[in-house]
Amino acid sequence: MSAIVQPPVTRERLPSGLEVVVAHRPGVPLVAVRLLLRAGSSLDPAGRFGLASLVASAVRRGTATRSGPELDALVESLGAELGAGVDEDAASLGFSAPVEALAQLLGVLAEVAARPAFPVGEVERLRRRELAGLLHDLDEPGVVADRAVIGAAYGDHPYGHPSEGRRRHLAATRRRDLQEFHARHWRPSRATLVLVGPVDPGATLALARRRFAGWRGEPVGDLMVGRPAPPVPGVLLVDSPESTQAQLRIAAPGQPRSSPDHAARVVAGALVGGSFTSRLNEAIRVERGLSYGVRARFTSGRAGGLFLVSSFTKVETAGELVSVAIGELERFAAGGPTGEELTRTRGYLCGLHPLSLETHEAWCDKLGEVELYGLPADEVAGFTARIEAVDAAACQAVMGRALSSDHRVVVAVGPAAQLARQLERFGPVRVVPARSVM
Amino acid sequence: MSRQTTSPGPAVDLAGVLAITLPNGLRLRLLRESGSPTVSYTTVFQVGSRNERPGITGISHLFEHMMFNGAARYGPKAFDRVLEARGGHSNAFTSNDLTVYFEDFAAGALETVVDLESDRMASLRIDDEALEQERAVVMEERRLRTDNSVFGLLEEQLEGLVFQAHPYRWPVIGWMSDIARIGRADCEAFFRTYYAPTNAAVYAVGDLDPQATAALVERYYGAIPAGPPIPPVPSGEPEQRGERRAEVRFPAQAATVVAGWRGPAAGHPDAVAMDLAQVCLGAGEASRLRKRLVHGAAVAVSASVGWGWRIDPGVVLAYAELAPGVKPARAEKLLFQEVARLAADGPTAWELRRARALLRSGVLHDLGTHHGLAQAMGHAEALLGDWREAGRVLERYAAVTAADVKRVVASYLAPELRSVVTLVPGAAR
Repeated sequence: MSAIVQPPVTRERLPSGLEVVVAHRPGVPLVAVRLLLRAGSSLDPAGRFGLASLVASAVRRGTATRSGPELDALVESLGAELGAGVDEDAASLGFSAPVEALAQLLGVLAEVAARPAFPVGEVERLRRRELAGLLHDLDEPGVVADRAVIGAAYGDHPYGHPSEGRRRHLAATRRRDLQEFHARHWRPSRATLVLVGPVDPGATLALARRRFAGWRGEPVGDLMVGRPAPPVPGVLLVDSPESTQAQLRIAAPGQPRSSPDHAARVVAGALVGGSFTSRLNEAIRVERGLSYGVRARFTSGRAGGLFLVSSFTKVETAGELVSVAIGELERFAAGGPTGEELTRTRGYLCGLHPLSLETHEAWCDKLGEVELYGLPADEVAGFTARIEAVDAAACQAVMGRALSSDHRVVVAVGPAAQLARQLERFGPVRVVPARSVM
Repeated sequence: MSRQTTSPGPAVDLAGVLAITLPNGLRLRLLRESGSPTVSYTTVFQVGSRNERPGITGISHLFEHMMFNGAARYGPKAFDRVLEARGGHSNAFTSNDLTVYFEDFAAGALETVVDLESDRMASLRIDDEALEQERAVVMEERRLRTDNSVFGLLEEQLEGLVFQAHPYRWPVIGWMSDIARIGRADCEAFFRTYYAPTNAAVYAVGDLDPQATAALVERYYGAIPAGPPIPPVPSGEPEQRGERRAEVRFPAQAATVVAGWRGPAAGHPDAVAMDLAQVCLGAGEASRLRKRLVHGAAVAVSASVGWGWRIDPGVVLAYAELAPGVKPARAEKLLFQEVARLAADGPTAWELRRARALLRSGVLHDLGTHHGLAQAMGHAEALLGDWREAGRVLERYAAVTAADVKRVVASYLAPELRSVVTLVPGAAR
């Protein structure tokens, strides 16, 4: 059986500080491109939650030389769509496009990153649309739960608000806030450009040099936020009186991405809630038919992370589901995995690893992750060895650390009157209206 | 303007596919693809909600769940345990037309997968306990995707309007009362009828030897008996003689509009032209609906057009989530104006180029993985009768003209042929 083929990587730091990473990979005649900026939502100023995300969307709505509709038309006529995304650590712009369109599209990417015009009308329409989008999100109980658990787990830490922001903050945000955030944080010295596909590395580097030559900005140091405090324990009930199903989340403290026991967290997370045979899926779906799905995993950003369980069940069985889940987690923290479970999970993770790197886009994301989190060069090549080295004690230790300190929070979205009685045994209950989460 | 190099050419080289049919009727299509040391193994059963009848709607999907609950050689819970330990994962989905099972795994696990899949095709165990548990799981799935979802509710209502006679009128997941009613005898009859090798095809793509894989499959599946003939589907639908409407009241924050029309069948030559029409109207920021409703008049937060090929004529669905306070009638007017404009004038040359370029990127992307390739061949064979069509789609897009797009929009998306469902926010509590 052949091993995963790591594409050769060529890199260069441009005089502006922009790091360019090109990976030559044969195959589909598309090229995947990401521009990563260390300008995530943890840098949102007080009272302006959602600003980082709004900036990433707004740069596409017009530059000094092209209007928003002109940019849309140009990009899409080349067979691409320019995507924007923001998480707590980074903003990214990217596309996947036919190789022959790269020269033009890289010009567009440089233009929107370096010289967005933030046209008055476009910014205003975008801001209103984001506000309305958050209102529509209120009708999606799963989205409400995901938003609520972030706040409940991280509190006042800069990770404690969803990247999409809050309605009252977006309502107060003005065009000059976008301009200031862009000028302050969108600098080449804090950005990485990753390109993956069947491209010539030398020519592609030369192209990137030309296209991004005009992007300047004084270098600034890294603005890393501090380590989050562990969650304040309790139960947060988000009232949604009409729902016939409760969305449930359980969160406990995790670790930053770069912490050394990452591999143990990957294995323990998969074992507990990352596959169909995981302990939680067995107990909740297979044994009891309580839910269609349950997932658990360690999430990790640059500054910190969480252990997070997500599921849902009909309102009447919400308490039972949470009780079963917590019981399984505590059992795991006390006894660790069996030898069979550990072997099966390591086999699962190692077997699937090549499948997670089958496309240019997946490699683009992975190489970006290596840059963003400062991971070692053997992140991919050493994966199997790191996973195989995780033993039962290491799995038990990471889960024990997450659960032992009694910083667990439970979040439920559904009719609070029916849920409060079922969930009060898991901690002091606080009820909030769904709108307060938005 | 830019150089256009969207030369069609085949999307993918399928010359290396080994295609054989076993004496029991099982069709095999096997392709060696280098790149990643993995294999994708897809089994397509030609059965979906289209083959159901009132009273047991949702049985195709419920039965899909039953397939993971043990067979003769591999008992309850064994399927995923064995597969995961060998470095693979499995899943399945049910559509109106098909039920599709797939495993993606490290290449060394191929024989294990063939063993697992043939075991459940030959000797699935259907017991009451598993049925009750899967019934509960599917009810939660329905609560998640339909009963507590704005889009799910509207789509279900819309399909009930667009179709009056055809089985596409009920949801794939089934009505809650039918999910509650389906019994073990229904499941056993369903399995005997639809899960025989005669009604199935296997597509394996990746790091494999086609000849050796064919021998392996024949060894494991060869003794499974052929099945009975498949009952015909009542696929007629009366002519629509005017717009149909429904309203859904739901405690939502803002209104939503969804409109649907019956499109061409997958096998009809117009299906590819409808793909281009879909992109012109409702895919991407520069699509007509997005430009008019979202960027221009700002009456909607999102606007898109959904359209997927089905064996019989399926739904072309326009969906718009409205800005707070906007009345559905206002958004509808703009939406239908854009459809009418495309029907009257057809797309511009630039719009047609854009649609072809976006579709080409999408096809290349989809065919870029073993999984995507196996699925594409399976869909092409099930919907068009020939797996080779998976490699011809770009040539077919290249042959579509502006006049074709204009004609399909005018003929299929006419005002008197549409159905409209509006979600009206209920009173706040």
